[in-house]
Amino acid sequence: MSVVIGGPAPYVYVCTRMRVRKSKLLPREEYLRMLNMSLPQITRLIEEMEYKKEIDELASSFDGIDLVEEALSWNLAKEFQAILAITPGILKQFTKSYLRRWDIQNVLTIIRGKKQGMSAGKIKEVVVPAGSLDVLFLDRMIAEESAERSVEMLKNLPLYSVIEREYSAAVESGSFGRLENELYRQFYADLIDEATSGLKGGNQFLKSIQLDIDIRNIKTIFRLRGQAISAEETSDVWIPGASFSVDELKRISQIETIDELVDTLRKKVKSPALVDALEGLREEKPIHEVENSLTRAQLDYMDRLSKRNPFSIYPILVYLEKKKYEVTNLRALARGKQANLPAERIENYLVI
Amino acid sequence: MALRDVKPTRSELIALKRRIKLSERGYKLLKMKRDGLILEFFKILEQAKDTRDELARKYERAQEMIAIADTVEGAIGVKAAAFSVGDVPQIELKSKNIMGVVVPEIKSSSVRKSPTERGYGLIGTSSVIDEAADAFEDLLESIIHSAEIETTMKRLLDEIESTKRRVNALEFKVIPELTEARDFIKMRLDEMEREELFRLKKIKARTEA
Repeated sequence: MSVVIGGPAPYVYVCTRMRVRKSKLLPREEYLRMLNMSLPQITRLIEEMEYKKEIDELASSFDGIDLVEEALSWNLAKEFQAILAITPGILKQFTKSYLRRWDIQNVLTIIRGKKQGMSAGKIKEVVVPAGSLDVLFLDRMIAEESAERSVEMLKNLPLYSVIEREYSAAVESGSFGRLENELYRQFYADLIDEATSGLKGGNQFLKSIQLDIDIRNIKTIFRLRGQAISAEETSDVWIPGASFSVDELKRISQIETIDELVDTLRKKVKSPALVDALEGLREEKPIHEVENSLTRAQLDYMDRLSKRNPFSIYPILVYLEKKKYEVTNLRALARGKQANLPAERIENYLVI
Repeated sequence: MALRDVKPTRSELIALKRRIKLSERGYKLLKMKRDGLILEFFKILEQAKDTRDELARKYERAQEMIAIADTVEGAIGVKAAAFSVGDVPQIELKSKNIMGVVVPEIKSSSVRKSPTERGYGLIGTSSVIDEAADAFEDLLESIIHSAEIETTMKRLLDEIESTKRRVNALEFKVIPELTEARDFIKMRLDEMEREELFRLKKIKARTEA
């Protein structure tokens, strides 16, 4: 096998691989076809796809719909690890940093599970090793006798500084919500630092991070609408570093009329995809529809950027996100069918 | 009360009359209490029906929302969010009195929470988790309210049952038996009086002869 080292060739190679992988993802028509299938048909179809290996591996530990869900998650984790393995140089660094959000999710799940006295087996079921922390490390964390010992294992990792600062307050209050928000804020701050550190391709990485931050902040604004929460209470849920400052977000979150809210948001956001998506939010919609349309706008815009910059971080990020949503959609189809939700209802929650 | 055990004396008659009066007064009061309790019961029954319907509706909604949360976030995401719950809802149990029946009064705290108080972060989760949590908080409130109403209803029913038994015992056993004993004593006393009169007449006739 020939190995490509040095020059722009590795970038071209990995970006092409990403485009090929993206083209293999399920198209919209396939989801619409699956909406009319029964649960056994959907399960069989998933088994016939690239998830077969994981289903076979996990069949001895899980069954039914749980097996499908675990297999989808494991496939996602393996796929992300495989992408990290083939991505070269700075792209690998960016990709690895981008995937650290899974570390936050896993670490918090382990800490919370241990604090709640959950068994190691139960915690293991909920962990998805798609980030920089591998299965062995996460298993060792789970096997530790207390949450504090698990936290100590994180000492050399970027997220330790926040955990060290917030952990005791979280244990005292019994709520890890603030710690979780702080970890994500720090995660985005670290991504921005990395993107602006002068590395090649940093600008493109920064653009996608800022788009992600804007989308998340706007989703949170819509999510908190109608809740009797003061601006002060929400100070730790906003992510700085993109189109809005924390103070602006606090102020915007208190706007009551939808038109005024959309106008204020439109004035600040730069991405045309987001502007279009915001226009569509002028009429009151259920929050999941708002979240869905914003997610679709984000994916469409990233897709367009990846076509404009074919040998950059964009193709990788687009694939990572689209793969994540493929797994989410398949899981939604299976779970929705199992819960006997009508097809139209399930369709509302699919990101297609 | 067997009639052979009754002493046909005047003092016993007076005592019996007193007991009959007391029993009749008790009977009237208990009957009024029973009727009052039945009225209260029907009021509570209406509330209980409404609460039951509401509970069933909220249960269905909670089931639907958890199914949607499972659909969107997967069992993995829902379990991870469930691990965040640290603050357990508290209930305070007091009691109040309805016509002598002690019924519970349940007050709950920390059931309803805002998304920022639930223990999970807003940045890493989606709104379906909020909606599922909202639905289950609603359901829990309904369960607590329903527990109060249904326990009250059960206690009232028990009390109506026992009051009814007492009313029936007084109406069909105690008062008739006492009345019978009173009549028996009256009859015996009248008979004894007639015997005494007859004896006196006999003695008088013998003395005159």
